[in-house]
Amino acid sequence: MEEAQFTITNSAGLHARPAAHFVRTAAGFESSVRVRNLSRDAEREADAKSILSVMTLGIEQGHIISITVDGPDEAAAIEALRALVEGNIDK
Amino acid sequence: MAVALVIVSHSQQVADGVRDIAEQMAGDQVVIRAAGGAADGSLGTNAEAIARAITEADQGDGVLILVDLGSAVLSTETALEMLGLDADRKVQLSNAPLVEGAVVAAVTASTGQTLEEVASAALDAKDMTKVVR
Amino acid sequence: MSDNEQIGIRIVRRIQSVIHANTAELNAFDRPIGDGDHGTNLDRGFTAVLAKIESQSDQSLAAVFKTTAMTLISTVGGAAGPLYGTAFLRISTAIPELDGDHPRQVAAALTAALGGVQARGKATTGEKTMVDALAPAVEVSNAAVEEGADTVLVLERAATAARTGMEATIPMRATKGRASYLGERSIGHQDPGATSCYLIIQAVADVVRDGSTST
Repeated sequence: MEEAQFTITNSAGLHARPAAHFVRTAAGFESSVRVRNLSRDAEREADAKSILSVMTLGIEQGHIISITVDGPDEAAAIEALRALVEGNIDK
Repeated sequence: MAVALVIVSHSQQVADGVRDIAEQMAGDQVVIRAAGGAADGSLGTNAEAIARAITEADQGDGVLILVDLGSAVLSTETALEMLGLDADRKVQLSNAPLVEGAVVAAVTASTGQTLEEVASAALDAKDMTKVVR
Repeated sequence: MSDNEQIGIRIVRRIQSVIHANTAELNAFDRPIGDGDHGTNLDRGFTAVLAKIESQSDQSLAAVFKTTAMTLISTVGGAAGPLYGTAFLRISTAIPELDGDHPRQVAAALTAALGGVQARGKATTGEKTMVDALAPAVEVSNAAVEEGADTVLVLERAATAARTGMEATIPMRATKGRASYLGERSIGHQDPGATSCYLIIQAVADVVRDGSTST
């Protein structure tokens, strides 16, 4: 199991299209991917592969999220999500 | 290949608009067709257009049909009877809310999930959290 | 065959003209318990049907009713489109001809229409829908066949039963379709779907009766 924390920098946060990108990226891995929004409610965990679940977290610009990945491709999943979130997810 | 979607509305603008939103969310992996309005462009649903949309959308991995209300259900059921689809063609009529269901279904379909999983996610869109406080 | 061709288009012409003449009345019945557009929707549908049939080469009854079905489902817009569309689609496969005396086929066609409407709308009698006009028409026409009635009589009895059924929808409480949202407040209004159903059956009965007296 691996955990990483990222700061959301894109203006739209993880809503709509960026959320869809995030979910698609997470779903591409075999590992389970859980996400929490530390800036809002650190206890609440969502399935990063479910758009509905991710949308409940209300992730906005400036929020810090925690991603917990568990499975055979966990390191690759963390890196892919980091690249996505720190890159230009709005596009 | 992914599960395809058909958007049915009494209004062509609504059907096309929901398709556009869902397409933008899904990227280019998901085929989405819209069937809105009666044949002369007035408000209503058109089983023939719905049947055509289903045929065009069907890529073999299943089709989820989302409808607005009322006669959209009857027209879609009529379209399905007209098509007389073989038992191995997977087509489901969803009870999900149209916009929310289409967006969730599109994203879920784009992750490569099965028709059952896409249909179930769309139905859960009834409880979508839109205002997070 | 040419008689057959004639009767198909004569039936459609009569239905179109009756629906057109009653558009305002059907809308008025639909206003308190529906969207107020039942007449407008059916008028648009049957006007489109007539135009299609006038321009098609195959005027056999089966072809005429098939075109009627397909045009209604694409142009009516409301729930009446798929319901009448399915009814005419079932009729088109159940009725090979109408000229000459075929009371059994007529009753079978009405029965098939009812089967289609019920399969689509999942309504039964007493729910304030077109089924309340169509179901008694089916019952009476089948009984008339057993008594040895001819085509004209079967259709006339069916139309009378449909009319009685239509009137019986007034005190009913709607439990299907848009009117069901009104609950108790749907009581006291005649159902527009049952009304158009009666008008259509009466139109067919009139055409067949006129055809048989003129020849």
